[in-house]
Amino acid sequence: MDFKQRIMTAMNHEEPDQVPVMGLIMDPSTVNQIMGKEPVDFVAMIKNPDTKDSIKDMMNQDEFWNSTYQSNWNDALESSLKLGFDANWTIYAFMQLVEDSESSLGLVWHDVFGRVWEMGSDNKGNLILNYSRPLCPTEEAWEAWVEEKAPIFEKAIEYATDFHKKLVDDYGDRIMPIGCAAPGIFENCWQPIGFVEFTKFTFQKPGFVKRVIDFYTDYYLKYLEGVMRSGVEVVLGGDDLAQKTGPMMSPEMTEKLFGESYRHIAEAVHKRDRKFIFHSCGNIYPLLDKFIEWGFDGIITMEPTAGVELGKVREHVGHKLVLIGNLDVSYLLVKGSRQEIEDAVKRAIKDAASGGGYILSAAHSHPYVDPSRLEWMVEAVHKYGKYPISI
Amino acid sequence: MMSNKTPQKLKDSLLSLDMDATMEQVDFVVKGDADVTVQEAVDAVAEALEVVGKRFQGGEWFLAELVYSGEIAKSAMELLSPLMSSGASQPLGTIVVGTVAGDLHDLGKNIFINYSKSAGFEVVDLGIDVPVEKFVSAVDEYKPLALGMSCLLTITSEEVGKVIEGLKDRGNRDKVKVIVGGAALTEEFAREVGSDAFAPDAITGIDIIKKWIAS
Ligand code: B12
Repeated sequence: MDFKQRIMTAMNHEEPDQVPVMGLIMDPSTVNQIMGKEPVDFVAMIKNPDTKDSIKDMMNQDEFWNSTYQSNWNDALESSLKLGFDANWTIYAFMQLVEDSESSLGLVWHDVFGRVWEMGSDNKGNLILNYSRPLCPTEEAWEAWVEEKAPIFEKAIEYATDFHKKLVDDYGDRIMPIGCAAPGIFENCWQPIGFVEFTKFTFQKPGFVKRVIDFYTDYYLKYLEGVMRSGVEVVLGGDDLAQKTGPMMSPEMTEKLFGESYRHIAEAVHKRDRKFIFHSCGNIYPLLDKFIEWGFDGIITMEPTAGVELGKVREHVGHKLVLIGNLDVSYLLVKGSRQEIEDAVKRAIKDAASGGGYILSAAHSHPYVDPSRLEWMVEAVHKYGKYPISI
Repeated sequence: MMSNKTPQKLKDSLLSLDMDATMEQVDFVVKGDADVTVQEAVDAVAEALEVVGKRFQGGEWFLAELVYSGEIAKSAMELLSPLMSSGASQPLGTIVVGTVAGDLHDLGKNIFINYSKSAGFEVVDLGIDVPVEKFVSAVDEYKPLALGMSCLLTITSEEVGKVIEGLKDRGNRDKVKVIVGGAALTEEFAREVGSDAFAPDAITGIDIIKKWIAS
């Protein structure tokens, strides 16, 4: 079986030749280590008054942004191939560098959706970008943003489609790019507004909240079409609905506000004969039935640090969902020993792989994940993951 | 004239997540139209928040309810607190709070801050990605009764220990209680690095600090 048959067989709850492995490779620190490249100290260039403005001008040219971004992801897929993964997620983002006096660097990234991303460096000097605050904390600010950025919203879909198409064309015969749809509807609704304000609005301004959700659902569906047009066969929707102790909103409230959107997404994917897998961090136990009801094909992550266990999830959902995960990134894939990794792989296979419907992966991406530990992980899957499973 | 049912109504409306009804009761108290003292109204808000904490810990309520009840309590306290400090009661004390270096997660920290303010504490928010030195200097500067650190990434958890070491170096460790929280931490870890307490959630955190004051 090749990598694609392996993944698709597992996605159909049948037993492939061996348990497929998926990579969540994206962090420059991991990629640079695997590719033997030196970190580019972007933050230092921004801090330097001689280079700051030219960096800003360059990065804000769409063409330069897209080609840099594409080449980073080419490296991510090359890395993933080197490690022997059958698939790797692929995520497009479109951002612009903007002056911001609130930031210590004086420059931040704004994404299309109304979110500020701060820059930082990891312990090796690689760039890290993280969502830090909202740009649209009021109804008026949100309306103004959406109106002003309308052309960029459309452009981003075009760019995302091209980005995925290039990856499918260049790598599709060696590894499966699992294309991410637009940022999740839940996240995209609260992050541009802020969690506290968004929560307040759900109680105080339900009409506004509905408008926000409808807007992003509509946008998400268009973006999703673009990603699927590119040739991606499995689409990943990332949307953190939960935190350590449980869902951010009750399952009832999540259903009331977002249920219809998720159903539409799953329908749109199935209409094109593709599969939809859903990523949420946190303790998702109370939402498992919802995931099935909404029509998702699979879930990825199952965060061990939030107490989520593969075996328990399998017991609850049976083969109604494909499970993808859940090797720990807080210790195991950062500092764990070879034996510990082998044990964790064996346990995951034992808990979830029988009958197919299981793809092994890390629980999350993390800049400190160690490439040699990922290698040990893949080796252990190849050693113990042959069907029929005999652990 | 409102009757002495005001505290109960305050509690009920807060626990029904009804901002308007809660503020209506607060308004009666502020105008002196209610048959209760400001202190009794404040106690009613505190009692309601205890119930909120239990509902959250018991899985009956989720983050959204926790956040919104915190917002209602904050709005109530914004009107009640000024009346308290001019009267018999003073703010309970200062808490310095921040998310440790390398970590940008701030939802949990902000919820804890909101609840601390509702409970009557003054809060100095150092923000996110706070270097050791900034925590240590803030303790020097504000002389808080407690220092709160939030940490969601395992990889940055060692920062917690570094701050505590920094406090020791400055001779301040025994002058401030240290409380920590966030997804990456555990009770055991908190003890190992020498903090005084770990809080699994914001409301437990407030309870712990209040107990410190009482003792
Ligand atoms: C939302 C989120 C994000 C958002 C953060 C938005 C923001 N402004 O905060 C974004 C998308 C930016 C993000 C980024 C990242 N994240 Co994140 N994130 C989460 C998620 C899903 C929820 C966290 C949250 O907000 N919870 C809700 C709040 C209210 O809960 P809380 O913080 O625990 O707080 C409560 C209590 O702990 C307590 N508390 C908290 N602090 C304090 C302090 C005191 C003093 C007290 C008393 C109490 C207290 O009170 C709160 C309320 O009761 C978690 C999953 C999880 N298990 O929690 C992952 C998680 C924390 N993230 C993770 C990772 C890996 C990352 C990234 C590295 C991803 C990447 N590859 O880039 C980056 C790192 C960014 C950085 N440098 O900080 C991992 C961490 C793994 C680990 N153990 O190290 C987690 C656990 C996800 C996972 N699947 O593994 N993340």
